[in-house]
Amino acid sequence: MSTSEANATPREYPWRMPANWWTRSRHYFWYIVREFTAVPLALWLLWLLVEIKRAGDGPARYSPHGSAPFVIFSVVVLLFSLYHSFTFLSLAGSILHFKLLDRPVSASVIVMSQFAAWAVASGVIGFFLVWLGR
Amino acid sequence: MPEKRISIHATRYDPEHDKEPRLQTYDIPFSDESMVVLDALNYIKSHVDGSLSYRWSCRMGICGSCGMMVNGTPKLTCSAFLRDYWPRAVVVQPLNNFPLIRDLVIDMDDFMHKLKSIKPWIIRKQEIPLGAGEHRQTSDQIDEFRQFSECINCMLCYAACPVYGLNNEFLGPAATALARRYNLDSRDEGLKQRLPVLAESEGVWECSFVGECSVVCPKGVDPAKAIQQTKLDTTMRFVLPYGNRE
Ligand code: SF4
Ligand code: FES
Repeated sequence: MSTSEANATPREYPWRMPANWWTRSRHYFWYIVREFTAVPLALWLLWLLVEIKRAGDGPARYSPHGSAPFVIFSVVVLLFSLYHSFTFLSLAGSILHFKLLDRPVSASVIVMSQFAAWAVASGVIGFFLVWLGR
Repeated sequence: MPEKRISIHATRYDPEHDKEPRLQTYDIPFSDESMVVLDALNYIKSHVDGSLSYRWSCRMGICGSCGMMVNGTPKLTCSAFLRDYWPRAVVVQPLNNFPLIRDLVIDMDDFMHKLKSIKPWIIRKQEIPLGAGEHRQTSDQIDEFRQFSECINCMLCYAACPVYGLNNEFLGPAATALARRYNLDSRDEGLKQRLPVLAESEGVWECSFVGECSVVCPKGVDPAKAIQQTKLDTTMRFVLPYGNRE
């Protein structure tokens, strides 16, 4: 055996991620679902920009797009965004850590207060939208 | 009564002869309810096939060297009981996301480099002389970082992380958890030295929160939490006027 052969590092078998990795566990599958829900959400927001542009033409010439498929699409997108909000706010308990009266605030209290703040903010914004739209 | 037996399908790979890894089946006695997957491998090595290669040492979930994929999930084989799988067969494979050296032995060099890059030791601007006595900490100060100090470098979190599997430039869960462990230590002053590694795009920002690292961690380290907290920290340091303080 030559010296170079003797010193050669044995061949390692490289890692290759299988294309179907995301089907191999329930967690991975839901992670991918979560990531892909961002696509319709982005499309809906782009459409919102178009609507805002159209509204700029004045109330007389503006009629919001309200076809049945669009309403269904909007409801689905709303569910997706609620899913994102839910995962994001549930995370807060493990990320934020602060103390109250020298004692650490528990993760569940932080999460609950985030959800409460979310509900109050949604209520206030909803109230103003309805009030302004009258 | 016939002897209880269990089938173990273990990955075999001999870099000198095999083109790719393959599974080899061993049918062994399952004589004792307290047997773990590592016991099965040790039985195979002692009684059936002495050429099977794998790592282990402590047999008690401390050294972190016996991590393998057990029926597709990263596990410490010394803590995975055969009774939880029997009568199904047990498939034992090397940890996902790492190059394979031989049989069940992975190459961890990449992690070793990453670990070194986050400087996992206490950094002081000025060392306190030994004669000055110990550097005291209150139990509250220890509680700040205790969870992240429990890591045993078992690599289960890296094997569970698809982000690392797709891009091994990612700093990854355990290295970030250990960086956080030192950043939260009241004796440490090395935050500024670790930040460049943590805050770059292949640092914590590569993580898209799959969360599986924390699910598989056998020590409750919760590396996903360490990563998200580090994201928040680095952002705050960037946006807040006083954020750049030590
Ligand atoms: S964080 Fe947990 S899973 Fe990852 S190496 Fe450390 S002990 Fe193992
Ligand atoms: S042999 Fe040490 S952790 Fe399993």
